[in-house]
Amino acid sequence: MNILEISGVTKHFGGLTAISDVDLHIAKGEILGLIGPNGAGKSTMFNCVAGVFPPSAGAIRFKGESIAGKKPWDLSRLGLARTFQIVKPFASKTVLYNVMVGAFLRTGSARKAREKANEVLTTLQLDHRKDQLSGNLTIADRKRLEIAKALATDPELLLLDEVMAGLRPTEVDEMIAIIKRLRDGGVTVFVIEHIMRAVMALSDRVAVIHFGQKIAEGKPEDVTRVENVIKAYLGSDYGAA
Amino acid sequence: MSRKQLDMTLLGLAGLLSFGLPLVISSPTYLQILILLFFYAYVTTAWNLVGGFAGVLPLGHSVFVGIGAYSSTILTLQYGVSPWIGMIVGGLLASGVGVLIGRPTLRMRGAYFALCTIAFAEGVRVMIENIDTLGPFKLNGPRGLLIPLKGDSFWNYQFMHKGPYYYIILIMLVLVLTLTWFISKSKIGYYLAAGGDEPEAAEALGVNVAKYKLMAMALSCFLTALAGTFYAQLMLYFYPKGLMGLDLSFEIAFIALIGGRGMIAGPLVGALALRPLNEFTRIYLGDQLPGLHLVIFGLILILVMLYQPKGLTPPLARLYGRLANRITGSDKSGHRTSSLKTTGQEGAQ
Repeated sequence: MNILEISGVTKHFGGLTAISDVDLHIAKGEILGLIGPNGAGKSTMFNCVAGVFPPSAGAIRFKGESIAGKKPWDLSRLGLARTFQIVKPFASKTVLYNVMVGAFLRTGSARKAREKANEVLTTLQLDHRKDQLSGNLTIADRKRLEIAKALATDPELLLLDEVMAGLRPTEVDEMIAIIKRLRDGGVTVFVIEHIMRAVMALSDRVAVIHFGQKIAEGKPEDVTRVENVIKAYLGSDYGAA
Repeated sequence: MSRKQLDMTLLGLAGLLSFGLPLVISSPTYLQILILLFFYAYVTTAWNLVGGFAGVLPLGHSVFVGIGAYSSTILTLQYGVSPWIGMIVGGLLASGVGVLIGRPTLRMRGAYFALCTIAFAEGVRVMIENIDTLGPFKLNGPRGLLIPLKGDSFWNYQFMHKGPYYYIILIMLVLVLTLTWFISKSKIGYYLAAGGDEPEAAEALGVNVAKYKLMAMALSCFLTALAGTFYAQLMLYFYPKGLMGLDLSFEIAFIALIGGRGMIAGPLVGALALRPLNEFTRIYLGDQLPGLHLVIFGLILILVMLYQPKGLTPPLARLYGRLANRITGSDKSGHRTSSLKTTGQEGAQ
């Protein structure tokens, strides 16, 4: 069963068409990678799916249900969570506080929210930072905190927007392992990423968009051989490497 | 003695002291100063629900004090309703008005929300000054309303001595502090803080930010209006400019910013720091230059913002934490999170 179905989605901003007639779907338990050059419309696609703004045309169905008109807070209740490309911690609060905000979605009790938050922080190996102010974290820890907050809402589908940008290679490897563990734990993952090594290692399928249009979709190793993709995004050196 | 025991002992002492003070102080002047101190701490704590927790800066809360005072007084004067009932009516009315103006304005950020609230509060004040009656209700324009003396009567919310007023506002203050403490530890408090810090991120985590801000606004306005009734019954006379001018709105914000915005003890610390100063400048400098106290407040605010941008509460809490650890002899690491509430209460001594 497809947990997310995007059909014919178009988004205009004034005269600019950010995405145009894109079809995508994600099966339950799958990891789908979305790649493309800067400005291709990847984050716009995420924002449409997460309810930040409605698409200009087309339909998005989450768990078989249309999400038209649903707000971000409705969607997170349904089991859809996302992270932001530019991390948005509640900077004046501790790491634990940040994650508890997410955990409160499924409970009204502060004690249960704290338990849940501690559990999530342990999963993400961030528990040793839990009493630090989130504004003081390193970029790698902030990216993990973004995931921890989203994960605390108990999502079925997790949208990860460039959670590896700015990380060192070892940190990228740790993050790949974390995301794989999440998937094994039953979370479907939709990921935007620029680091090809990570995309190749993670994704079951990859979709490529360019100037708002989907130009390729398929298994990672197949997609990287498509000529258009190499021209538009990877560069001619990639195939040779 | 453990740290927790020390906290509780000091909190108990502060409570005992504040409840015992009227037995020692007989001068109505000093009692009045203390009453106004608690009044400001109370109003600022109510303000703090929106201005602190929800992260916006309302600068027109005087209008809700006004709504409270006018509602209960008009009901008393024209319909013989007890101010205690009028107080609740005023609170509900203020709540409704707060939601009405909060709905379009709370999604604005920074100065825009502040400007809207100033404009609304001033607009209402000018309107009241220019009309004598509003439908069946006598507002009496700029002359204000006078509550006739009825002698000592709890039902009429009138007392010949300052003592009862002192206890009423003290209990109101303790209740509102307890309420904010509970809210800050609950889901609502977390959601308000998150929505104030990063609304987009909070919404992605399932927080309907606008709804929670509106809830905070409704509660804050309700509580503020209760203080309006208290003020009316304490003074037994009020007029629009004195009751609901911008002075009051600004002083609330000053107290919150200097004490520590968004902290439970912030308003109390701020009121303890600023109110005596206000009384002093009013007594000794009031003749020369009315409004001088606001200039001095501004100066202090600049200094505090420069050197302690989070207000006076965090450094006081750290100081208390260090002293308390020395007394109890416990190690620092175990007690890094000192109780802000307790520190604030100690200031009361």
